[in-house]
Amino acid sequence: MSVAQDIPHVTTAREMGVVGCLRCTQVWPVGTETCGRCGKALVSRDRKSLQRVWAWWIVGFLCYIPANMYPMLQTRTLFQVQQDTIVGGAIELMTHDAVGIALIILFASVVIPLGKFFAVAYLAISVKRRNSASFQQRQMLYEVVEYIGRWSMIDIFVVAIMSSLVQLNTLASINPGPASLFFALSVIFTMLSAQSFDSRMIWDVQSDAAGED
Amino acid sequence: MAKTPTEVKIEPASAGRGLGRISFVWLIPLAALAIALGVAWQSYNDRGPVITIEFENGAGIKKDETALKYRDITVGVVEDVSFSEGLDTVIAEVRIDKKVAPYVDRSSTFWVVRPELSARGVSGLDTVLSGVFIEGAWDNKIGEATTEFRGLEDAPLFRPSRPGLEIALRATANGQLTENAPIFFRGIEVGRVGKARISPRTNFAIAEAIIYEPHGRLITPTTRFWDTSGFSVSIGASGAEIDFTSLATLISGGISFDTFVSGGERVADGELFVINVDEESARNSVFNASEVETLLVNAIFDDNVSGLSVGAAVELSGLKIGEVQSVSGIIDRAQFGDGRVRLIATLAIQPSRLGLETEPSPSAALNFLAGRIREGFRARLASASLLTGGLKVEFLQTDVAPPDSIFDMTVDIPQLPTTKGQITDTTGTVEGVITRINNLPIEELMTSAIDLMSSATAFVSNEDLQGAPGEVVGLLSDVRGLVGSDEVKNVPVLLNATLERIEGLVAQLEQEQLVMRLGKAVDAAANAADGVDTAIIGLPALLSSVTALADKATALPAEDMLAEITRVAASADKLLKSESTQALPADLSKALGEVEATLLALRENGGVLDNANKLLTSIDEEQLVQRLRDVVDEAAIAARGVNSAVEGVPELLASFQAVADKAEALPVDALVQELTELAATADTVIGTDAFKALPADLSKALIEVEAILKAIREGGVIENANRTLASASSAADAVALAADDLPALMNRMSAVLNQASRTIQGFDKGDQLTRDVENALRDIQRAAKALASLANTIERNPSSLIRGR
Repeated sequence: MSVAQDIPHVTTAREMGVVGCLRCTQVWPVGTETCGRCGKALVSRDRKSLQRVWAWWIVGFLCYIPANMYPMLQTRTLFQVQQDTIVGGAIELMTHDAVGIALIILFASVVIPLGKFFAVAYLAISVKRRNSASFQQRQMLYEVVEYIGRWSMIDIFVVAIMSSLVQLNTLASINPGPASLFFALSVIFTMLSAQSFDSRMIWDVQSDAAGED
Repeated sequence: MAKTPTEVKIEPASAGRGLGRISFVWLIPLAALAIALGVAWQSYNDRGPVITIEFENGAGIKKDETALKYRDITVGVVEDVSFSEGLDTVIAEVRIDKKVAPYVDRSSTFWVVRPELSARGVSGLDTVLSGVFIEGAWDNKIGEATTEFRGLEDAPLFRPSRPGLEIALRATANGQLTENAPIFFRGIEVGRVGKARISPRTNFAIAEAIIYEPHGRLITPTTRFWDTSGFSVSIGASGAEIDFTSLATLISGGISFDTFVSGGERVADGELFVINVDEESARNSVFNASEVETLLVNAIFDDNVSGLSVGAAVELSGLKIGEVQSVSGIIDRAQFGDGRVRLIATLAIQPSRLGLETEPSPSAALNFLAGRIREGFRARLASASLLTGGLKVEFLQTDVAPPDSIFDMTVDIPQLPTTKGQITDTTGTVEGVITRINNLPIEELMTSAIDLMSSATAFVSNEDLQGAPGEVVGLLSDVRGLVGSDEVKNVPVLLNATLERIEGLVAQLEQEQLVMRLGKAVDAAANAADGVDTAIIGLPALLSSVTALADKATALPAEDMLAEITRVAASADKLLKSESTQALPADLSKALGEVEATLLALRENGGVLDNANKLLTSIDEEQLVQRLRDVVDEAAIAARGVNSAVEGVPELLASFQAVADKAEALPVDALVQELTELAATADTVIGTDAFKALPADLSKALIEVEAILKAIREGGVIENANRTLASASSAADAVALAADDLPALMNRMSAVLNQASRTIQGFDKGDQLTRDVENALRDIQRAAKALASLANTIERNPSSLIRGR
């Protein structure tokens, strides 16, 4: 409460009895079913938003498990076949004194996806109950998650580019492992999860709190 | 102040109850979950069992990487590699596919495929890059399940991935079996020899082999295998030749086969074949008529002798019925009671050579042998060759040996009872001979020999003896001279003529029983002798006249005459010493050689003789005998005449007397003179060149004779001569016949002469004439005796007339 009190109260559109079209941003009075300009269905608050968030979140997390267990890259040289998982490959790189690259891989493939999971879950939980973070911080967090989500695909790009470039037949070849697919799916589902989140709900909590006050 | 917006009643856009409140998005995680669970369950469900395979070493086997392959398809992967308890072996835990798991039963085999570099090439090269893998082999039947296996060191020969005919190959004693060697048929590899092992009784090596399909149909009961390893060098008229099948067989050996007799059926699995040393012997083994599988028996010999070698003959009554297949030693304390090494020979007996009544087969041969052994049949060692000391095995019937019932026919290779060998110890015999030679008193013998030699030396060095050869030479030349004289040469001719006459005479005598007449004639001669007897009374007067004549003769200049004769002799001597004369004997010898050759030719043409013989015989019978009869009659008449003549002997003597008187009156001096002159003339004649040239002429004549003889021999004259000689032969036969009667005749003549002798004894012995007459009669007697002996000789050996001996 104390935090909410520090922040000046913002009057929401809902409080003013209007609803904005999410596509063309035309404001209509509450109760209007569809946007008179672009025809999109108008809802003041998406009541199923959190359900979708959690649903995508779960699928994304499920995909993230095999993405880490199965090998990401299959490196076949003349004499051996090497299969590396994401973490295993990063550790191997570190043993080869490529700490920088290892850190980048770890950051892009482990830290960011996991951070997204935590961020989305936090946001989804926070709209239902009070917490210490301000509305602005949470809005910022949401925007960061949505922005950064696409960059998680950098891993998949690396795998795809290496697979297509390093195909020297018998001498050496790099093929994507099964983990790459799961990783890509995981990224996609996480992004969907983030997109499903109706950020307006962040402010509802504030208004609820204000209303209580 | 801004107008506070009016409170708007907010209605949920679609605040549906129940299902309407739940987003359809939940289907996606549900689907994901379902898929994940499904995959998890499926992967769990697809997991096959884990089997453990023990290997001697784990070279190249890696956890999670090394695959288990069946027909080159991965059907499992090694999940873990660990040691067995005690670190003896390496245990690989392999998770196999669920689908093949039921087939991985107790009969399954596993081995590690590694890259292999051998003479026949490189195998398992793929494992160089991918690492080794475990190959498994199992049949297509589900058998007793097990999860613990023991891996093989090498790939097994028989595996389902390469089906083939399984056969067994047996090496000969000096052959070789190389493991994994290829089997060729007309230069194409159609099979492979497996691991060779030694037979239970260590007699030979045996190996499994596989003929890959579809080549299995090439193997029939008449198929023969031979060793093609190594190379053969042959040097012949066509040059040197080096022969080897392939480089691979040159290094690691190989086996080739061929079916020399067509028409056989494919053999069943497990058939046993013998590997021959080379193609030729393989070929021969086929054409050995109706040879069947040999019966193998063992024979343990107590004789510890060397010389029994592989391939030595096994004989039954001198007939080879098999051969020794292997020879080795055996120590069997349990069976023999001592630790001595005994000779054990494995005999390969060819049943078809035993002359069995039934179909020849090893079992039939075994029954046959068993029957014979009960009768005392035994094997023994015998000498095959005295020179080399080689031995053979001989089967023989022994009487002393008790029936041996320990002949166990149930064992793999039955053991024949044996008996003591009959071995001629050549070495021992030779040693004995040498010992005897050693014991000979050679020193004494040498001493005696030396003594003998010195005596002989002394004898030979005697001067008299050294002179002897000269004398012998002189004697021989004298003899040569004598023999070379014309008289001697003429003797046979004369004798021949005489004998012919005698032959005629005697034949007549024989034919006409003229002996009686002769007897009469002789009687007449006896009468005549009587007459002589009386006539001799008048002889003294005659003798005195003769004496006077002799006296006169004594007074004759005999010295001169003798000198002349001496000169003649000298001339003759000179003549004889001349070279021409000397050459005569050689010519003569040559001529005689010709004669001999001619005679030989004649003798060889003896068939002609018979004809001539017959001819002459007929002549004899027809004419000669008649004439002889006449002659003998006339002789009888003559004898009678003699008789009457003898009656007139007194008168004759008187005439003699008169003659003597007259002779006394004769100018003997002049006669002697004449004689002397004659001798001188002879001397001059002999001295003339013409006479000296005579030997040369003679020599020429002899050469001519020689030429004639040659011509005779070469020409058809021989046949004529043949006939002639045949007649001579018949004449001789006649003589032989006549000679039968000769003794009687001789007796008579002897009687006559005895009578004459007695008559003459009446004469005055001191008288010169009487002595002369006596001598004359004695000469006649001697001549008669000689004739008798000649007749005897001829009687004994009629052919000597022809042969001249």
